[in-house]
Amino acid sequence: MQEITTYLAPRRLDEALRATADGDATVFCGGTDLAPQTESGVRQYKAKLLSLRRIEELGGIEAEGHEIRIGATTTISEIRRSSALAEIAPVLVEATEHFASEQIRNAASVGGNLCNASPAGDMSPPLLVLGAAVELACWREGAVRTRRIPLEEFFLGPGKTAKLPEELLTAVVFERPVVDFVGRFRKSGPRPALEISTVSVAFGARIANGLLRGVRVAMGAVAPTPLRARHVEAALEGKPLDAATIAAAVAATTEDAKPIDDVRASAWYRSHLIQVFVEEVLNDVRRN
Amino acid sequence: MEKTTTASLTAKKTMIGQRLNKPDAPDKATGKTRYINDMVLPQMLIGKVLFAGRPHARIARLDTTAAEKLPGVHAVLTGKDVAGLKFGFVRDNVPLKDKVRCEHDEIAAVAAETEEIAQRALELIEVEYEDLPGVFTPEDGAREGAPQIHDNFPGNKSLHFEFKDGDLAEAEAASDFVVDNVFRPHHVTHCCMGTSCAIADFDHNGKLTIWTQTQYPYNYKMDLAPALGIHPGNIRVIQPPVGGAFGSKLDVYPYEPIAALLAKKTARPVKVMYSREEEFKASPTRQSAIIHMRTGCTRDGTLTFRTADVLMDNGAYTSWGPTIPVVMMRTVSGHYRVPVVDFKAQAIYTNNPYAGSFRGYGNVQAAWATAQQMDMLADLVDIDPLEFHLKNAQKSGEVTPQKSILNECVFVECLETAAAASDYGRKRKEYAAERNKPGRYKKGIGLASSIHNAGGAKIHKSDGIGTILKVDDYARVTVITGASEIGQGIDVVIMMIVAEELGVPPEHVTIVNNDSDIAPWDVGVHASRTTFIAGNGTRRAAQKARAQILNAAARALGELAEDLDLRDGSVVRNRDGAPLLKLERLMRQMHFQPEPELVMVTDYYEPNSEPEGAKYSSNSSAAYSHAVHIAEITVDTLTGEIKVDKVTVAQDVGRVINRMGLEGQIEGGIAIGLGYALSEDMRIEKGMLKNPCFRDYKLITAPEIPTFDLHFIESYCVEGPYGAKGISELPTIVIAPAIANALYNATGVRIFNPPMSPEKVARAIHERRVQATSPDGGVIPS
Repeated sequence: MQEITTYLAPRRLDEALRATADGDATVFCGGTDLAPQTESGVRQYKAKLLSLRRIEELGGIEAEGHEIRIGATTTISEIRRSSALAEIAPVLVEATEHFASEQIRNAASVGGNLCNASPAGDMSPPLLVLGAAVELACWREGAVRTRRIPLEEFFLGPGKTAKLPEELLTAVVFERPVVDFVGRFRKSGPRPALEISTVSVAFGARIANGLLRGVRVAMGAVAPTPLRARHVEAALEGKPLDAATIAAAVAATTEDAKPIDDVRASAWYRSHLIQVFVEEVLNDVRRN
Repeated sequence: MEKTTTASLTAKKTMIGQRLNKPDAPDKATGKTRYINDMVLPQMLIGKVLFAGRPHARIARLDTTAAEKLPGVHAVLTGKDVAGLKFGFVRDNVPLKDKVRCEHDEIAAVAAETEEIAQRALELIEVEYEDLPGVFTPEDGAREGAPQIHDNFPGNKSLHFEFKDGDLAEAEAASDFVVDNVFRPHHVTHCCMGTSCAIADFDHNGKLTIWTQTQYPYNYKMDLAPALGIHPGNIRVIQPPVGGAFGSKLDVYPYEPIAALLAKKTARPVKVMYSREEEFKASPTRQSAIIHMRTGCTRDGTLTFRTADVLMDNGAYTSWGPTIPVVMMRTVSGHYRVPVVDFKAQAIYTNNPYAGSFRGYGNVQAAWATAQQMDMLADLVDIDPLEFHLKNAQKSGEVTPQKSILNECVFVECLETAAAASDYGRKRKEYAAERNKPGRYKKGIGLASSIHNAGGAKIHKSDGIGTILKVDDYARVTVITGASEIGQGIDVVIMMIVAEELGVPPEHVTIVNNDSDIAPWDVGVHASRTTFIAGNGTRRAAQKARAQILNAAARALGELAEDLDLRDGSVVRNRDGAPLLKLERLMRQMHFQPEPELVMVTDYYEPNSEPEGAKYSSNSSAAYSHAVHIAEITVDTLTGEIKVDKVTVAQDVGRVINRMGLEGQIEGGIAIGLGYALSEDMRIEKGMLKNPCFRDYKLITAPEIPTFDLHFIESYCVEGPYGAKGISELPTIVIAPAIANALYNATGVRIFNPPMSPEKVARAIHERRVQATSPDGGVIPS
């Protein structure tokens, strides 16, 4: 095990960015993924451990304007308790209900959950259907530089993201959903509590004149990254939400979901569950 | 002093059946308890074990030079250092191995100043292995030409059991219906919150003190001694508070002699404690088995015969696991009247992890099969399903084919109570009628039952217990007992019994039961025996003290002893409860009189049972008990998720002693059984455990606990303390098949290989639907 020789807990973002400018630090926020991964040897600590927890500007939820901004260190519990988000983006709040346990929700941050880039990460599908982007910052030429990339381009593989080593994820942002936006989240695992997704599905769309518009469907744990289900979306876009459309969407899941067998579930079961959940969320939207 | 008012009179009231908190509960709830895992001794070294991490191999080269040179390392031991130190049931185990037979085989051990140094030392040990072809199922192990795991166990054959009674051919011919299935109960493990831990220390006279989590401190000395090459008399066993045991500490496992051998070599205390991952890999499992069972009955619902052919995966070494047939055969041949029995069981060595004892001990596996077959037959016979159970249920006075004598048997009452409380008959019929109708969520109800020893289990020559009881000058009572406390609650039972007999508050009773140099002998905490055995022992000792106290009081007061009683810390007049003398005053009077007297009594209690015979035909327990569980579930037929809504329990408890302890044992036992039924599963692939962590090994957690409706049936066991019977294993035994039967009731599918995970259930339901709608099928399999 690599020994940690430096521990940094700055109060300002620029200090943190300068500390990680060499791209050689382990970034720590809630630690709910980092601790078990280093404990089991899946991941090694670098010599420099950088905590983001004291940086106030990385926390908080801004929900007043056209753009909704959730700071990277915002905990899952904070999202869960946010009355603003409950109104604006209930699909995100719904997903927090299924997120691990109370203790883990109190520690885990939304930025950490995204940077961990687990195919089964609970925050990814709802943020994907909200069309979220991530804000990445770094220290370059004596100043803080930021860029934004769409969330779906952020995930490159299990544990791999488009974030450069010298960058920190500072926020996740998405446009305020329109008033007639509907969203749903569904997740399953072998038991209700403290569960890692066997699969998860999120759905978001507007219904205008009885037709689905701006459809986004996201899936977790069916591929190396959380993904947008483009074939399912195509089967739904511009269509009335009737039995035939739902059947077509269910059939299209096999084009998008390419799950694997692992210790948690077989590929058969994951494909089966995706179909069940897509049908379930669409029927649920249809009924309401 | 004649002036007494009604208010000060002390009415006779009983402790028995009250609800009392465990005395250690506040410390445990607040984190004050110091478990063995928390203990640190001066000069203590940390021991760590190098595990093989492969299932079957020869050790071609082993070099510990670099590890030994690492500063802070005090000892490195390997197989060479322990040659000949064989231990275990059939002496097939050694503390450190010269050949690899399973993933967690202990290859080397180090003792160092810190855990980090010990860990680094392990990394410096160089080992070259030559992997050997492995055996990963008992079928493969039994095959001609299979790789041999132990040289001296040809054919990989471990233990073998047989029990037969009656003419099988005749009984088969007389059967109208026979159900014939293969059940495959799986590997699960105890998941004690406190991981395995031992601290060992030798003095310079060669006496070992070992702090351990053992459940059987006295025979433990005998089992540990050969692994160290010392006399059992030179071992002192101390039992600090433990974070669970559930049968996992009923044998000696290699980390214990390893701690002791490192302590001997270094002349320092050495602590070995497993990480959670090591705990998953290296602690014992529940025995897995392949059970081919057939049960027959006549059209009118009379059982005719039952056969069971059991093949057990012994794993690499023999601990208690493969001895479970001794308990299985009682369930197979009894509780329902089975006139003809043919039971065979064979354990085969494999390169898998090996099983120890685990709450329920074989009966979990047996009931998984018997209770499902009873449910299948109930659908075939001409009589009502509940009637079918009642008709075959054994009653008081009956003797099972194995010569278990059923006294105070209330199995019929258990069946009737549970069925009535849950409206079993109506719901079972209604849900079955709904089964093939459209609808995603299906309800189901299932009944299961079993029998278990409830008055000890005489698997050794003696099943007894020693008790020493003293009452001091302040009327505080100390009970020095062989009965270990591993969280099960014998402490409260002992306090209540002393309080009942001596009329003192239960909190005035101190229990000393954690040091083998102090407390007298006992077999150990197993076989649902401790309340029965230690309860009787405590009661007898307390009654001796009571007689001595009342005689002394009678002399002091000029009364007759039989006119006196002990209540509320006083000697009182039996007739009206008038207090005559404070007990603590009496104790001092007895002590400081011209002919001084102290109250200190001893007792040795041996239950009225027969030693387990070679032919498995003996009344090996002083009592037997039955339990019936009725599970009500909702199945999501698409995801396969089973939600257990309610469990109705009717269990023969003999008599309630501590109501709170009883509730805790039954609900906790069911929680373990629910994990077995629904989610827990050691995923062993080619001998390697794939899910050694709580993320992937799914215990049942609080939100999944169903509603309970508990019915304690009091049969007033003549042999038991105040009528009580042992109760702790049946809850774990009965729940899984009750859910399996409910699953069938709801969906028409049966899962023979637990757990009934969402995936297995979803697939089975999916396949049943595909079959039902296929052009050449159309018949829904029943």
